[in-house]
This record gives sequence, C-alpha cells and structure tokens, in this order.
Amino acid sequence: MIARRAALKAVLAAPLVALVPRADARDYTSAGEVLAEIDRLESDLDARLGGVAATFPAAAAFAASVRADHERHRRARATLRRRLRLTDAAPLSGPGPAGRATVDALRALTQDLVYVYAEGLPAIKDAQAVDILARHMVDDARHLAVLQMWMETEQPGG
Amino acid sequence: MLATARAAGVTGPALGLLAGTEALARTEGNDLEILSAALLLEHHAIALYGFGLKRALFPPGLRAYATEFRGDHQGHRDTQIAIIEERGVAAPPARDDYDFEHAPAGDEFVRLALEIEIAAQRAYTGLISRIRTDDYLLSAAFILVDEVRHMTVWQRVLGLKIY
Repeated sequence: MIARRAALKAVLAAPLVALVPRADARDYTSAGEVLAEIDRLESDLDARLGGVAATFPAAAAFAASVRADHERHRRARATLRRRLRLTDAAPLSGPGPAGRATVDALRALTQDLVYVYAEGLPAIKDAQAVDILARHMVDDARHLAVLQMWMETEQPGG
Repeated sequence: MLATARAAGVTGPALGLLAGTEALARTEGNDLEILSAALLLEHHAIALYGFGLKRALFPPGLRAYATEFRGDHQGHRDTQIAIIEERGVAAPPARDDYDFEHAPAGDEFVRLALEIEIAAQRAYTGLISRIRTDDYLLSAAFILVDEVRHMTVWQRVLGLKIY
C-alpha cells in the first residue's frame, strides 16, 4: 500500500485542495468492508438529518433529497452485494446515540462518508461496482458541498 | 462536455470513451490515455481561471472561490503529472493556443467555469471505473470530489438546482 499512501500524499499536498489528510485514513481490504462502512455512516447521517430539518425548516428539502438519494444508493448496494456474492447488509443496531444535529456535525459526517467512498474504491476490484459507487460518491460530494456552503454563510439555504 | 473536452485537446480513445463510442479495456496503457485526458482538462481549467482572474471577469464577490478552485486544479495537474512521469512517460503540456479573448464578464464567465467543471466531473465519473491501478484510482476519486464541489458552487451561484 505504499503507492496508495504516496498517491494520497500527492493529492493532499496541493496547496489549496479542499480535502485535508486524516490521521485515521483507512486501507480497506475488501468490498464487503467498504459497503459495511458506507451503510453505517449513511444510516447515522440520515438519522441526524431529521434533527437539522426540525431546527432549520429551510433544510427540510435538502434532508428529503439526501434521504431519497441514500434510499436509492441502498437499493443499488443490495443488488451489488448479490452480484458480488457478498453477505447481505447487517441489520444496523438502530440509530446511534443521539448525535449533534448541527450543520457542522452533518458536514463532518458527510465528509467521512465521502472519504469512505474515495478510500474504498481501490478495494472494490470490480469495474461495474466502481462505476456505481463512484456515482454515489458524486451525490454525497454534492451534499458535502451544499453543507460547506451553508457553513460559509452560517445558515441552511444561505 | 465533448466540446469542452475537445477544446481542452482531448482526442483518441479517451474522447471516444467519453462519447460512448469506444470501450477501453483496463490496461496500463489505457490508464495513461485517461491520465493524459484528465491532465488536459486540468490545464484548460487552470488557463480559464487564470484568464478570468487576471482580467477581473469573475464577479467581485466570487474571486475567492475562483482563486481556490484554480489552486485545486493546479494541485490536480501536479498530481497527474507525477503519476504519469512515475510511469516513465512524458506528460502532455498545456496547449499554447487557448483563446478566451472574447470571453464575457460576470455571470456569463461563471457559466464558462461551470462548463469546464461539468466536463471534468463527467470525465472523471465516466472514466474512473476504467482505471486499473490503485494509486491512480485513489487520486482520481479525491480529485472527483473536488470537481463536484466546484461544480456545485457555481451551480448555486447561478441559481441552478443543486438538490
């Protein structure tokens, strides 16, 4: 994985690149591991979206749009698991501990989700699956950009 | 997107793949084709942002975004060049005949920036599954995330639907 680290270092060495290096960057070793982590973060994110929508009514349309994207992603991942002969998604143990429902918390969680896709793609080892998951990553990167803009204007819809 | 890719200098199999007229096998050689096409789009974006910043064509409140995005593209360019040269191949240089002289100012210039971002985003999204090597796939994924941010910001600025 030296090449992987070198590549990541090269990308992140760009002076103004939006993404920042993480101490906990992961080397995923299997498609199943990547999909399980996506399941976990996506579920947590969806649970917190409701809180933000309740606090900021302007965020309700965004929350509905993100959840619709994630529902579509979950269906696609279920199909992928069958095709790749992976075990079904493990049932999630309900919503995690009530997390902060702030725009910044959502942004951080969405960024983590985007990182899982980006760092996980090399472990997928299947061109069609990479294509599907890259398109899901694009959706979540768009959500991340919206949340970053909200952070910059300090309010949803700003 | 194809017009922008052509304007950036993309030709051959990579352009055929973007047009949907060619299927590329996952080979080291085709990784290089994809890398070169992506690098040409980065060169084009850097030139467009540089021209717009130099001539003050971006609306005044958006110069910070334009500066940030140009920096991102410069980082992407340097990454692509490093990956290409690591494979013992000379990276394609930027064209010397970009012609932005008649580019409009204000929101219309932002639209030009949006076009190159859409082209880059679609190109990376369309090509990423054809990448064979892990190091380049990882880099392309992170670059794609940046391109989506650029595209989404300009769409928001122009009042286009983003969710």
